[in-house]
Amino acid sequence: MNSIERIKAAVNFEAPDRVPVIAQVFGHAATLAGVALGDYVQDGDLLARCQIQALARYDYDAVFALMDVNVETEAVGSNLTYRADQYPDVKSYALSSGADIDRLSVPNPHEAARMPELLKAVRRLRQEVGDDVLVVGCVLGPMTLATQLLGIETALYLAIDEPEQFASLMDFATEVVIRFGIAQIEAGAHLPIVFDPSASPAVIPRQFYREFVLPRLERVFATFKRTGAVANWLHTAGPTEPILSFYPQAGVDIANFDYCVDPLDALKLIPQTCLDGNIKSLSFVEETPEAIADESSKLLDQFADRGGFILSSGCEIPPESKPENVAAMVLATRKNG
Amino acid sequence: MDLLVKALLDGDQAQAITAVKNLRDAGVGHAQIILDGVETAMVQLDAKCTVEEFNLLEIMLAGRAVMGVMKELYPPGTHSPQTKGTVVVASLEGDIHDLGKNVLKMILTAKGYRVVDCGKDCPVEKLIDTAEQETDLVIGISGLLTSVIPHVRQLREKMTERDLGHIRIMAGGATLKQASAASLNVDFVAETAFDGVSYLERIAGGAK
Repeated sequence: MNSIERIKAAVNFEAPDRVPVIAQVFGHAATLAGVALGDYVQDGDLLARCQIQALARYDYDAVFALMDVNVETEAVGSNLTYRADQYPDVKSYALSSGADIDRLSVPNPHEAARMPELLKAVRRLRQEVGDDVLVVGCVLGPMTLATQLLGIETALYLAIDEPEQFASLMDFATEVVIRFGIAQIEAGAHLPIVFDPSASPAVIPRQFYREFVLPRLERVFATFKRTGAVANWLHTAGPTEPILSFYPQAGVDIANFDYCVDPLDALKLIPQTCLDGNIKSLSFVEETPEAIADESSKLLDQFADRGGFILSSGCEIPPESKPENVAAMVLATRKNG
Repeated sequence: MDLLVKALLDGDQAQAITAVKNLRDAGVGHAQIILDGVETAMVQLDAKCTVEEFNLLEIMLAGRAVMGVMKELYPPGTHSPQTKGTVVVASLEGDIHDLGKNVLKMILTAKGYRVVDCGKDCPVEKLIDTAEQETDLVIGISGLLTSVIPHVRQLREKMTERDLGHIRIMAGGATLKQASAASLNVDFVAETAFDGVSYLERIAGGAK
């Protein structure tokens, strides 16, 4: 089986030749290649080159055309601060208040800010790996983009004080996400991962998720599937137990779960959905290869009977992670998967 | 007083302020409003958070309502109530995520602490300078990025060099809470903002 076949088997609860392993290597690919993170996130060719080098080193099942969480907000009008050794930050948000939403327009992914560079990275990666390895693009979830357009505190207060304005903001964010995701699929991404940390139950209550987030994720995922995504992958960090049961309704095929979620709880909450996770991100910086191997083996054992599992980290593998720790996770699927 | 507690728990700032005005009109003193109203609401909120229903939005709303009440009771320029001590908080250099810090700040204020906020992307030296001038109790640092960890680890040594080793260091935030206090070289790692406040309450008496 190649990586795509292996991942599809996991998603469909069929037996893969081994458990797929996806290391969430984003900026770590730049670190490995000796490239400044600030350059990596602005140059699609460079990003793709670093990702291919990381794939050659680790031999896992997916590469990522993923820059940072500020691509969409910058394209809409936020100003960023770029630094050599870090992901960029928002210097000033596209919106100063909820009353400004009407003046925003959905950016054209082929023209706006770094979106064309990300599409370039998608094309390069697909040219390199074809249909052997999963090429993952990235969009923010509507909730996270809403908080990136206005600032998270202002956006959350807006949701309570002016719910109609907030709903309009969420609708706008949904349009941005859909248009960008379609462009990624058309450029060659097998799927765009939907990265939605602001929708975590650590930030918002379950009822808020059901009312504001779920219907928009349904639209996003239905559109991506119609456009040709091989699967729908949702990535929400933190203690997601209260919202996991919404994922099937949202159209999620692969559900990322973070280190703080007990795998057995996740199994019970979404028995029919492929899960990926959940080694603690910081462990790749702080721990030893032996500890990562042990954690990997434990997870592989827990999912051995059910299947529907992709071994991964709970969130991003930090840029400064020890390469031997990433390698240990990949090796575990060769030995025990 | 029940109406005030309910309004605070609901995060309804307008209702909370109305309740305060009514209590004051009825002759209830400021100290009692804080003790029986604000403190009671915070205890209930704390209890709710410990049963794994913690989310930042609800805490933010309650915190905003508390801030409205405090402003109503003690308008800018008037004497603030006696504080339990001063806490200096910051998101360290390289990290502009400050929601967790801001939530902690609101809760600490509601619990009767004075908070000096060094803001986000704060250089370690600035934090230490502020701590030297403002507190002998605790500094609280929040971090969402692993890249701040080296800054956190050097904090203790730099503070000791300046004879500030007696000030406790408390860390929290999505990334820092993945690490142990020993590995970060801090005194305490808080799982939630309320967890941090509990730590503070435990040490405040002895350290002040």
